[in-house]
Amino acid sequence: MVTALLQAYLDILDYDGMKSVLKEADLMNIKDSRDVDPNGTIEFISFYKIIDAQNLLLFGCYRLLYEVGKKLAFYLFPYGKDFEEIVEEITVLIKTNWSVEIVEKKENSMIVEIENCVFCGEAGVPCNLFTGFLVQSLKKALPDNRRVVYSSDKEELKESEPNSFILKLRWKK
Amino acid sequence: MSDDVKEFVFKIVVLGDAAVGKTSLINQYIEHSFQEDYKPTLGANIIRKDIHVEKINANVRLIMWDLAGQEKYNVIRSMYFQGCVGALLVYDSTRRATFETVNTKWLRDFNKYVKKEGTYILIGNKIDLTEQRAVDTNEGQGFANEINASDFIETSAKYGENVEKAFENLVHNILQKLGELPS
Repeated sequence: MVTALLQAYLDILDYDGMKSVLKEADLMNIKDSRDVDPNGTIEFISFYKIIDAQNLLLFGCYRLLYEVGKKLAFYLFPYGKDFEEIVEEITVLIKTNWSVEIVEKKENSMIVEIENCVFCGEAGVPCNLFTGFLVQSLKKALPDNRRVVYSSDKEELKESEPNSFILKLRWKK
Repeated sequence: MSDDVKEFVFKIVVLGDAAVGKTSLINQYIEHSFQEDYKPTLGANIIRKDIHVEKINANVRLIMWDLAGQEKYNVIRSMYFQGCVGALLVYDSTRRATFETVNTKWLRDFNKYVKKEGTYILIGNKIDLTEQRAVDTNEGQGFANEINASDFIETSAKYGENVEKAFENLVHNILQKLGELPS
């Protein structure tokens, strides 16, 4: 997981950008870890340190975070997978007090509810990294030429859960 | 006077052609060090510095993006600007071409990708190389006025001359624009 995240930073921010996040996280010792092992265990402290550093340095960079999320989807599940499986597996890969659940599924749309998102940094701001991850994962799971659009809503969830949001996904040819 | 400390987060970018000394300026500002050997930045160096502005009792978290000057980053660079409020536009005072691209490339990028009106300072770096000067102070100042830069500062990243002043002035100018400091 951590290496997939580093690879995603590398693609979007290049080597110095990735190192900047690791330096802020005080984890420069893993700057040359490259082998992505989607089944590997997560070193939680490192993961959280990286996410904290990312959200500090990439403050306000919603487009970049979205692109990092898309790349993370690629590196975690390079061959694609059924979207429902990915939604289940991501919470197994990162086992903490968060939940990701498909609460509504229609022919051309879906609603996903995310509670206590582990990638979120700023209360009240939709998590673009995990949004990018889900959009890309869905796109890969759909037949070719489908375009996925999304809208996000924080206000429908309880105020006591600042890192929770609802993601509405629609797709069309 | 209120004891409340104000908090700000400012993202700034350091722009200019390859090898004008963008990374060296930041290294000098953060670590008071200078590396003789040139290593091009790959993508973006992103560095945080927390400062206190005594005059208005404010803490400012400065997120500095040192963007690679190479052309291969032209496409992705637009995304790096999001959320930015200020810039140091840097040229190498010994290479005239780098002075000219401030207007034709870097300022244009900044104005194009920074949606809100941003604050920028023109920096003429490498003034320690006096024998090789290609852009003099008057010309730099005149150009800064022409492009409406909020300040013009000549620096030596090698010896630390005016480096702190460059970053501090940018922060002050941003605060002025926000109405937090008197003009």
